[in-house]
Amino acid sequence: MNTRAAMLPVMCALLMLTACAKAPTEQIAAAEKAVTEAQQSGAATYVADEYAKIEGTMAALKKEVSDQDGKLALFRDYGKAEQLAAAAKSDAERVKVEAATKKEEAKAAALQAQQVAQEAVASTLALVAKAPTGKDRAALESIKADADALKESLNQVQAAIDAADYPAAQTKAKAIHEKSQAVSQEIEAALAKIGKGKPSAAKKK
Amino acid sequence: MVLGWGALALAGLFTGCVEAVPQDAIEAVENIDRDLMELRAAEFSPVDYARFAHQWMALKSRVQADEDLIRWPWEPNDLELALRRLQEEGSQTVARLTKEREALRHLAESKIAQVEDRFRVMAVQVSAIDSRLVLGQKPVETDLLMKQAHAFYEQGQYDRSLDASDRAARNLATQAVLLGNEFGRYADRGRISRWQQMAKDTIAWSRTHQTSAIVVNKADRVLTLYHNGQKVLSYPVRLGFNGIREKRYQGDGATPEGRYRISRKRGQGQTQFYRALVLDYPNEEDRRRYRLERKTGQIPGSRAIGGQIEIHGVENELMAQTLGCVMLENPQMTLLFDRVEKGTPVTIVGALHEQNSVAQTLVLLGVQREET
Repeated sequence: MNTRAAMLPVMCALLMLTACAKAPTEQIAAAEKAVTEAQQSGAATYVADEYAKIEGTMAALKKEVSDQDGKLALFRDYGKAEQLAAAAKSDAERVKVEAATKKEEAKAAALQAQQVAQEAVASTLALVAKAPTGKDRAALESIKADADALKESLNQVQAAIDAADYPAAQTKAKAIHEKSQAVSQEIEAALAKIGKGKPSAAKKK
Repeated sequence: MVLGWGALALAGLFTGCVEAVPQDAIEAVENIDRDLMELRAAEFSPVDYARFAHQWMALKSRVQADEDLIRWPWEPNDLELALRRLQEEGSQTVARLTKEREALRHLAESKIAQVEDRFRVMAVQVSAIDSRLVLGQKPVETDLLMKQAHAFYEQGQYDRSLDASDRAARNLATQAVLLGNEFGRYADRGRISRWQQMAKDTIAWSRTHQTSAIVVNKADRVLTLYHNGQKVLSYPVRLGFNGIREKRYQGDGATPEGRYRISRKRGQGQTQFYRALVLDYPNEEDRRRYRLERKTGQIPGSRAIGGQIEIHGVENELMAQTLGCVMLENPQMTLLFDRVEKGTPVTIVGALHEQNSVAQTLVLLGVQREET
């Protein structure tokens, strides 16, 4: 009986040693999943600083878990790791929404610019089509080459949108719009000149 | 007495203790973070910002853990030291990135100015030698890239601005190569000698036959009438919209080069261009070259050789272009028309001297291409 009583504290100590705190693996996995989702939503591009901080928190979390893992089981405390995992998860979820919103805004702006550019180019091409054939068309030949180049450039806008490079798509579309307007003005000026003269019939040259 | 000593010790305990982390140290690092965000360091220098953010987040977690602690003033405070160190490193990063961004901004600005200047020169030169069509879509592509370079610059995206400017510069270099390929013959001594010989032969023929002959110099855009081997008159002319090129097929807008004769004179009422001298284009040499180029696929099968090349007046004064003919002002056309006959030789050459306008343009663009 005395021997059993003497063993009791030893047993308790052993129990404590083996049953102490465990790493919050589920919370960490949940945080990692949230960070991955944030990254996939474009956080590294659209909210780069926030995303970098979340990665910093994740690095701190891993270090904390590693530090605790290195201690004797009795002295392990994963409370701070749990807090960091919870903070990383919550921040990642917020940033994911923020990045998705910004990405959508950028996409909408690019699509809007693309539409404006398409309309401007269509209008320019319509003006080119109005130009009379024959001798007087000579002045419009180079303008026509420009209009064709603008039409070709619209493909680059679409390619940038497909690659989700919305800033490139938007700047290219705006450039096309601007240039298209300039070319249209040039055509109108040329047409005005032709209007004052007589259009002539096509001729072998 | 005992109570008094106890109270004194307690008072000492409270007045002698300090916060685990001084608030000013935290605020200083927060300010650095704000500065880095304003510099958009995470976008433009992600490695630097990630290093800072990792350290800052690690220290922040320690700050939160130690928030409720108080310590003796003489105890070493590792956390405060780490924060001060991060503040120092962060300040240096802010200073360095500010400097780097300013240098990048300056570089982007200079590059835009440099490429725009080159683009302007190219446009002026190309327009001067009527060779815009040779470049196809390239000028518009360059223009669009430069507009993008400006837009990225305004957005503070200096690296993307530089990229767009670089691509525009490469596009301009390609244009210079295209011009060189197309118009290199204007700078070719052998070719110029042949043209000079053609002109000499024509003048000699005029002298020998005591009659008129015409020489058209495309590079200088000059028509010269000779009589008995002597220069009688010289007028500026306009060529087709692609006139500086060598005519290859119908509709290319180019003006042919070679020895021709006036095959017909069209007076008022017989032409829509005031008065016209119809040339016997295509001659045998034109036909031989056309057949060869068609055979080798250089000319599409659907293209005819063309014809109706004339020296004519102006139908519509407001339109200063023709489709491949040689165009004169109407008063000058009158004088020329009266001095020539059916059968008068007309020799059209590219250039008559090495320092011609096209060759000079090529030299100018070549030099600038190397500088870009």
